[in-house]
Amino acid sequence: MSASVETGAEVFAPPRARRLARLRHLDLVGLVITVATVVGAALWAFPLYWGLVTTFKPENEVVRPEVQLWPEHFTFQNYVHVLLETKIGIWYVNSLITSAAVTILVIVTAAGAGYAISQLSFPGRRLFWWMILASFMVPIPALTVNHFILINQFGLINTLPGVVLPQLIAPVTVIIYKQFFDSVPKDFREAAMIDGANEFQLLFRIYLPMNWGITTALAIITFIAAWNLFLWPFVAINSEDKMNITVGITQVHDAFGVQYARDLAVAMVAALPVALVYLIFQRRVTQAIMLSAGIKG
Amino acid sequence: MSAAGATSGSEAATVPHVELRRVTKRYGSVTAISDLSLKVDKGSFTALLGPSGCGKSTLLRMIAGLEAITAGQCFIDNIDVTDVPPAKRRIAMVFQSYALYPHMTVRQNIAFSLSVAGQSRKVQNERTLEVARILQLEPYLDRRPAELSGGQRQRVAIGRALVRKPEVFLFDEPLSNLDAKLRVQMRLELAKLHAELGTTMIYVTHDQTEAMTLADKIVVLDKGIISQVGSPLELYNTPANKFVAAFIGSPGMNFFGVDIAAMNGRTASVVLPGGRAAEVGITTAAGAGSAELGVRPEHLVIVDPNDPGAAFAGAISIIEHLGNSTILYVDTPAGQLIVEGEGNLDAKSGQAVGLRLNEGHARLFGETGAAL
Repeated sequence: MSASVETGAEVFAPPRARRLARLRHLDLVGLVITVATVVGAALWAFPLYWGLVTTFKPENEVVRPEVQLWPEHFTFQNYVHVLLETKIGIWYVNSLITSAAVTILVIVTAAGAGYAISQLSFPGRRLFWWMILASFMVPIPALTVNHFILINQFGLINTLPGVVLPQLIAPVTVIIYKQFFDSVPKDFREAAMIDGANEFQLLFRIYLPMNWGITTALAIITFIAAWNLFLWPFVAINSEDKMNITVGITQVHDAFGVQYARDLAVAMVAALPVALVYLIFQRRVTQAIMLSAGIKG
Repeated sequence: MSAAGATSGSEAATVPHVELRRVTKRYGSVTAISDLSLKVDKGSFTALLGPSGCGKSTLLRMIAGLEAITAGQCFIDNIDVTDVPPAKRRIAMVFQSYALYPHMTVRQNIAFSLSVAGQSRKVQNERTLEVARILQLEPYLDRRPAELSGGQRQRVAIGRALVRKPEVFLFDEPLSNLDAKLRVQMRLELAKLHAELGTTMIYVTHDQTEAMTLADKIVVLDKGIISQVGSPLELYNTPANKFVAAFIGSPGMNFFGVDIAAMNGRTASVVLPGGRAAEVGITTAAGAGSAELGVRPEHLVIVDPNDPGAAFAGAISIIEHLGNSTILYVDTPAGQLIVEGEGNLDAKSGQAVGLRLNEGHARLFGETGAAL
């Protein structure tokens, strides 16, 4: 928002004159844009606020027909119930394990693939590259049935590795790494080769640390996507002990009927780590989203 | 003095430390290096000199193992290393860009080769400190390259090479990113380092001043072939061909066409543009007829226009005062000639002058460009 600038002369001018001077400096276009963005932000944030407030209401207040912006009887009962009466702890741990595994494996494999395509010369490199480019044109949900059959044949249905494996298809990450590795000057590679570094040392001690910023960004965005993923874990897991948090929410719904406040309390708890990660690494996440958006065109 | 020799040049008596035998490098249909042979002696400081695109960096990279050799062989210490990976050639290379790893400190940069070789931390520390002491880098060991000046970065790059205790140092235009003053300083430090270590050094440059001041042997390359190999003064005083004569020396040598009137053993009588005659030394009688005479700017002396000894009469076109010398551009019947006079030379633009030729230093070049 624009602001009037108080010069030394205005400070010593009479109050009325100062107000007029401020008005003259007021940027009207800036003001309109600011008001519009604040309204937009409020509209966007309202469902979140509504969801959060609802979790502090008893169920009978939730189902009342009128709009109630603040709980009449403030309660933590929904959270107490979710934390004590459901398997949210196990779902949390499962989510953490699968998301961390997906993140680490995607980063390592994508960086390795990106490095190989970018820096090594081997037969079929070009074909390999085109296959990766082609693979991200196929929407992953369209492969759910194939994945199910494959994972079932591996005997991994209803296991955490079964949840993790199909999520390792990350062509965009490979493409981003390839592009970043392409832009590393050749001299670094040659200097390290003369210093005696092998290809693994080149990748893990030179190329990855030199692109640490993008690695962090990709890791965060991969983690968030893995944490939020619903469809595949929902299909792959049928035992409550193996569920992750996103699938676990559906169990709360099923077991207790439509209990909006409790459902929303689970959703809030489930969203907490992602929200925290986003708040802490905001810049990196934005960078990663912009990069992958740029590639997806 | 140690010597580098090419098959075209004189063979050195000592065993070569680095040897290229009939090496060719092709990129598709383009030939960068053509059937080149070169011997570099142990402990020598050899400069590969030539204009951009002459193949000097390619040659260095082939010695380093960074560039595959299309045909021919490369030997280091009499061992065929043609197919040996760079790390196993016992060489170290300093790049033009320094190629310091930006995410590592100076200490980590220097110790990188020891670290990837699995040396203990104790050895890494000892060797790093030893190198840092030689290069006066001790205060900067915990800084990253971005926090260093150009000269300091250059020293770290040398330190990274030094820590490996290589048999051969390869330098690829290492001073070209520095400003003029720092370049002179680093030149001196490199010369000192070579004197202290006595290691074989091969240095690529397009700057003939760097080559002349640092190297004890210079290999002049032209379009992928060796034009001449020799000591700096040999190249300066007795260039084997017009290319070397023109490339070595600043300001460059003057060339103009002459008619050879007679050849008499070790001298040739030539008729200069404007009709005056001159006697110049020759080593071969081949190529009699028309030729080109090459005269360095300091071998032309400003005299009175009516001086009977003047080879040319002309007028001063431009004067450049450099302090220790004065460069004059004189319009003569032979074209514009560059003359280097004393620093306190009193001359004016447009002034009529005569030019006396120091015949003993003039070089005659035949139609092919080879020195006669």
